[in-house]
Amino acid sequence: MSGATTTPAAEKRTRVTENGPAGEQPEGLRARLAGSPVLRLVGRRLMIVIPLLFVVSALVFLLMEALPGDPAQIRAGMDASEEEVEAVRQQMGLDRPGHERYLSWLGGALTGDLGSSVVSGRAVTTLLGERLPVTLQMAGMAFVLSIVISLPLALAAARRPGGLVDRFVMVCSMTLLAVPNFVMALLLVLVFAVGLGMLPAIGFVPLAEGVWPNMRSMILPVLSLAVPMACFYARFLRGDLVEQLNAAAYIDTARSKGTGPWRILWLHAFRNSSFGLLTLVGLNIGALVGGTVIIERIFAMPGMGTLMLEGVMSSDVAVVQTCVFIFAAAAVFANLLVDVMYAVLDPRVRYGSH
Amino acid sequence: MRSGARLATMSGMLNATREPAATSNGAAGPILVVDDLRVTFSRHGRVVHAVNGLSYQVRPGRTLAIIGESGSGKSVSVRALMGLLPPSAHIEGSARLDGTELVGLDDKSWRAVRGCQIAMVFQDPASSLNPTMSIGAQLIEAIRMHAPLKRREAAQKAIDLLKLVRLPSPEKRLKQFPHQLSGGMRQRVVIAIALSSDPKLLIADEATTALDVTTQAQIMELLVDIQERLGMAVIMISHDLSLAACYAHEVLVMYAGKAVEHAETRNLFSNVRMPYTKALLDAIPQLSTPAHLQPAIVGGHPPDLSALPEGCAFLPRCPSSTEQCRIEPHLAEHEPEHAYACWHPVSRDGSCTGQKEERP
Ligand SMILES: Nc1ncnc2c1ncn2[C@@H]1O[C@H](COP(=O)(O)OP(=O)(O)OP(=O)(O)O)[C@@H](O)[C@H]1O
Ligand code: SF4
Ligand SMILES: [Mg+2]
Repeated sequence: MSGATTTPAAEKRTRVTENGPAGEQPEGLRARLAGSPVLRLVGRRLMIVIPLLFVVSALVFLLMEALPGDPAQIRAGMDASEEEVEAVRQQMGLDRPGHERYLSWLGGALTGDLGSSVVSGRAVTTLLGERLPVTLQMAGMAFVLSIVISLPLALAAARRPGGLVDRFVMVCSMTLLAVPNFVMALLLVLVFAVGLGMLPAIGFVPLAEGVWPNMRSMILPVLSLAVPMACFYARFLRGDLVEQLNAAAYIDTARSKGTGPWRILWLHAFRNSSFGLLTLVGLNIGALVGGTVIIERIFAMPGMGTLMLEGVMSSDVAVVQTCVFIFAAAAVFANLLVDVMYAVLDPRVRYGSH
Repeated sequence: MRSGARLATMSGMLNATREPAATSNGAAGPILVVDDLRVTFSRHGRVVHAVNGLSYQVRPGRTLAIIGESGSGKSVSVRALMGLLPPSAHIEGSARLDGTELVGLDDKSWRAVRGCQIAMVFQDPASSLNPTMSIGAQLIEAIRMHAPLKRREAAQKAIDLLKLVRLPSPEKRLKQFPHQLSGGMRQRVVIAIALSSDPKLLIADEATTALDVTTQAQIMELLVDIQERLGMAVIMISHDLSLAACYAHEVLVMYAGKAVEHAETRNLFSNVRMPYTKALLDAIPQLSTPAHLQPAIVGGHPPDLSALPEGCAFLPRCPSSTEQCRIEPHLAEHEPEHAYACWHPVSRDGSCTGQKEERP
């Protein structure tokens, strides 16, 4: 997915370079793509990411082995006899050695068969189809919202460091940052659902039942995830912007051209501060994924987080394995995306240093 | 030729001195009049007097070199002319550019002055260009800031400017980024940005300090050439006296935020009167060393700008000092076209005229 968004831009930019011998690029789309530093970077990263995902899957498998609880016992029922449990165990293939089971799970996973839930008997892929969109929507909206909130706040605060706007933003963000997201969730429910009765307290309405009902059910969970993150980003970005404005020589050059203060902020300082922000956002994606588990639980959202928690409660190995793997893979891919964004944003990475 | 003088002795340097106002009409009135300029910073209750009553004038087509060791207030004094000081700076006195008072301008009026009337070239070309923007974008931003040009026209003007600063293959450069250029090439771009709107005054704050000697000479030659073609006034700040001797029409020596000696270049170097200037000159080795190392050879330390004593600021380090020096000497034209602030000027042969015994 990252390739699809970066390819055209990257391609255009390489055509534009034409510097030195590297500029004499052979004709043809393939040669041009091969010459694109961004694509080369994606290629290099994928070489690491793909083996990494195998390692992650093996670790997840090991983790499952270590979990207490006997799936065969659970499937057979608590009052089943020894023999009955043993029969179920054999039927489930749990009597085979670990590496064999891992390989057969892996083989299944690669062909689109992730096994089925021990509890409900439904295919894990079917469960994913129901649950993944909920979590993706929630995490995606929270991600975008946190950035949409933090950018204008940080820019407005950095415009006059120590000014009224700056102090207001700093105090508010500090206060909100001190509130963990599950407390934030409870506060939001108290105010908007219990107090004002404007929004549903819990529950999820699928998009198929209408955009507005769906959004209404999303607002509180998304806010509880996004607000603490937004405060974090706004504080960081404001600090970095102020530092650029105070210390960077290129800001003096821009000022001495007669460039206005807002243009200096967003065109000059922000471009350079965005790298730091990008790193922070990338690092925070793991926390966002972890946050969804708790928030889904509080708001009774039928997403990946609740699926995983239910799985853990009932020792539903196939389900938990898949969920943990998907969370881990999401973090890995998020970091890949951050690296690619660096290359797209920073000409020093894009063209390499001379 | 001028760069060759960098390796010469004092007399060699003097032969290379710029003829006073050879290319400009010496009769033209000053474009910049700085009068009793004072800049203070208040920090934790301490007041740092970075500039303490600086006065000078610059005429069109002329180059004034401001020299002095680190911390003498050179940068602060010119940044005040650009409105580039932080809000913690308190500026007093007067600086009039072509009749416009610069001290106390509001933000909006500053934007009309900066770039348009005064432009500045900074010390470190590695950091004075935005690393995330192409050369073209940065140049075109400057061009369009003061002239309502279309993108295409501005791009053409950008190419013309890059040609003016003799950057090879200018069309290609527009699309490149700062890290793809060498230090000298970057400084040419910064100069092109500075020239983008025909400033009346160009300030070069140690514009060549970060460059190697050859590139330094090339950039200085370029500035001289452009000045002769465009007729603007130039203030060049330098640690490096030989550079000032080669490229400036007149030299102003700063110490502790004040002008202590000010004269035509030839006049100043052939007839040094202020002991501090003499110490600076004596510190120049025969062979060129990194410019930033040179003034450090003057013995003692620069004074604490938050606790300046009464009297001459150079007193603690001065070999010619007497009791009289506890009264502050004022900068005055004790000789025609040669101003200095000292009670006991050194004599022509370089010895001291003070009552104290002579020193080696
Ligand atoms: N923002 C500031 N806040 C407080 N003091 C400052 C500030 N900027 C400069 N100063 C002080 O003003 C004095 C003069 O500094 P300035 O930068 O003008 O020196 P300079 O002559 O340009 O030295 P250099 O040759 O090292 O560039 C220094 O003592 C410095 O500490
Ligand atoms: S006034 Fe006195 S202390 Fe100051 S430079 Fe002259 S001789 Fe030295
Ligand atoms: Mg300086």
